[in-house]
Amino acid sequence: MNTIANIALRNLSRQKKRTILLGSAIAFGVMIVTLINGFAGAFSANVAENFSDLMAGHIFISGTEKGPDDKDVSVIRDDRALTSAVAASGAPIRYVTRRSAFSGTLIFEGKKLRTNVDGADLEKETFLRDRLLLKAGSWDAMAEGNALILSEKIARKLNVDVGDNLLVQLQTATGQNNVGEFRLAGISFDTGIFGQMMSYANLAYVNELLGLAPGEYQTMGIMLDGLKHTESAAAGIYDKLSGSVQLFERGAKGSDGAETPFQALIRQQKKESWEGVRYRLFTINEVLSQIKQIVAALDTTAAVILVVLFVIIMVGIANTFSMVMFERIGEIGTMRALGVQRGGVRSMFLFEALFLALGGAVAGIALALVAMGVISLFDFGMDSPAFLIMRNGHLSFFLPPLRAVGNVAIIAVLTLIAVASPAGKAARLTPAEALRTQK
Amino acid sequence: MGIVELQNVRKVYPLGKVQVEAVKGVSFCIEKGDFISIAGPSGSGKTTILNMVGLVDQPTEGEVFLDGKPTSGLKDAELTRLRHETLGFIFQSFNLIPVLNVWENIEFPLLLGKTRVGKDEKKEWIDHLIEEVGLSEWRKHKPNELSGGQRQRVAIARALVTRPQIVLADEPTANLDSATGEQILELMKKINRELETTFIFSTHDARIVDIADHIIRLRDGLVTENRRRDEPAAEACAAGAAGVGVRGARAGA
Ligand SMILES: Nc1ncnc2c1ncn2[C@@H]1O[C@H](COP(=O)(O)OP(=O)(O)OP(=O)(O)O)[C@@H](O)[C@H]1O
Ligand SMILES: [Mg+2]
Repeated sequence: MNTIANIALRNLSRQKKRTILLGSAIAFGVMIVTLINGFAGAFSANVAENFSDLMAGHIFISGTEKGPDDKDVSVIRDDRALTSAVAASGAPIRYVTRRSAFSGTLIFEGKKLRTNVDGADLEKETFLRDRLLLKAGSWDAMAEGNALILSEKIARKLNVDVGDNLLVQLQTATGQNNVGEFRLAGISFDTGIFGQMMSYANLAYVNELLGLAPGEYQTMGIMLDGLKHTESAAAGIYDKLSGSVQLFERGAKGSDGAETPFQALIRQQKKESWEGVRYRLFTINEVLSQIKQIVAALDTTAAVILVVLFVIIMVGIANTFSMVMFERIGEIGTMRALGVQRGGVRSMFLFEALFLALGGAVAGIALALVAMGVISLFDFGMDSPAFLIMRNGHLSFFLPPLRAVGNVAIIAVLTLIAVASPAGKAARLTPAEALRTQK
Repeated sequence: MGIVELQNVRKVYPLGKVQVEAVKGVSFCIEKGDFISIAGPSGSGKTTILNMVGLVDQPTEGEVFLDGKPTSGLKDAELTRLRHETLGFIFQSFNLIPVLNVWENIEFPLLLGKTRVGKDEKKEWIDHLIEEVGLSEWRKHKPNELSGGQRQRVAIARALVTRPQIVLADEPTANLDSATGEQILELMKKINRELETTFIFSTHDARIVDIADHIIRLRDGLVTENRRRDEPAAEACAAGAAGVGVRGARAGA
């Protein structure tokens, strides 16, 4: 058998041009598909990491209390139980953030704009300074109690400058109307759609506006060492919490459930009633469950391209090997006369096609990896509109090894199918016919 | 009892609507160790007969016996195995495998089939054959780097490598100049004497049949002359494989 394989391999180098042409076609197809796979592989991780940065955590714990009129009040009053549960879970934690937030209307010289304002403890959340690049103003100005940082886009819409005072209308945690005043301390670069919506103020002042006491807040964000720890850490923390505080059930983990975690929360809150603060734990993955669908769509697209491209290439391979069969008809006759069985002739053609496919596929993957390396060298900047799908302003790729192996296998199988018919014809030739037909 | 025996062999090729009767009832007997020439003009049926003796083609009627055993009704795989084990082939256009070098071409038949030869024994034997056909300097060369005569020498070595009982050569000298052709025939004859391998070669060149021990002449698919050297006519095979009485081909027409 390895004699036959050996001859098949050498046969490939007989018509170098033809081999290179077919091999390149296969390599090109594999490269495109691999690039899409690699992009899709990194896409969900990048989006999730970027959202984690913007939302300041991989795992979140929020508190809900039943207020007057049975209205839900979002508040964490005393987080000692949370802090000890988080510590006890042993999760690989980088830092913990404590934030309150509201959605309100900013007013400046008659212009109005609705936006989200996150109240953060900027003394402690130093990472935010690295994350958020200021176009104007300075972080030092945030020392002022009612300081505010707006994104470039919002600042432009309101036509405000650093140092201006803005009014804000909002509802307190218990649903009362309230008004406050901010002083614009800085304007940040826009970082994608999500970044545009983020405005930052001091936690103490946001609490004041929301009617919360100093030291209270609404959401604890837990930033881990990496996205990959999220689900196991979340399970660990939830487990520790369940002994000491009231908890909402965790929503279905995946995106497959008909109900999103938010819907589940709303349903539970509507139905039930409780005393004190009840906590809910959710993860960045649950927030971004739709991202998974985008990745699935990308992968499906890649698969469709793979199949379409290879049906075309298969036709080329089938034709080429029909030609090859006639070119080598004398050799087939000779080998049959010398004692090569029908199966040997068939294997020779199949091996030749298989080597071609494997060579092309491996070259294609190698090319794709090189292309990925080159593409990821480009710096698109942190203010790129595509910021969310990138890693620190660079496009990045992750090629799941199983997918690469799978692609190679698909190509190998398709090629073998394409060559099955000419190989079968070659095998069925009687030796006398083959010897007579030779030039 | 002959090593090859044909009994009333007919071969009809369908050619569109007509039937071409290439061989019209041929019987003859070949003795082990002989050097046999099948001679005849173009289209007389030499290739057709050699193909049937070589089991690359089957008769339409009649029977081919190899070493006393009938070969009709055998499956393709069995015929292939028999070819590999008992027959060697030399072709008019050499038919070497282009991607293999001289040594590998000669080795090739040994890599087929079930029986494995020891590595040293194999190497010694192939080297011996290469020396025998005078190609010691050329063992690493590819066929397209060799002359016609050299290629046919490789083919001879390849035909002998499995130590077959019979070597079939269909016009082995037709693509060679006459001097080279003569050398090739001399080489075949020498091996025939040394190894006692039965050689059956076809030719349409009436002059080169003298070298043969046994001449079978064909015309239009029929035997016109069948005689051993120095004998008026070849006698019939002693007894058929199936115990049937066998007629030898009649001499002369
Ligand atoms: N596959 C085939 N189909 C149809 N006719 C065939 C086939 N093979 C041989 N013939 C015919 O059978 C006859 C004998 O052919 P064959 O090749 O045996 O002659 P040959 O003696 O070998 O001739 P040459 O010296 O030209 O090689 C010829 O008329 C040839 O045309
Ligand atoms: Mg012929």
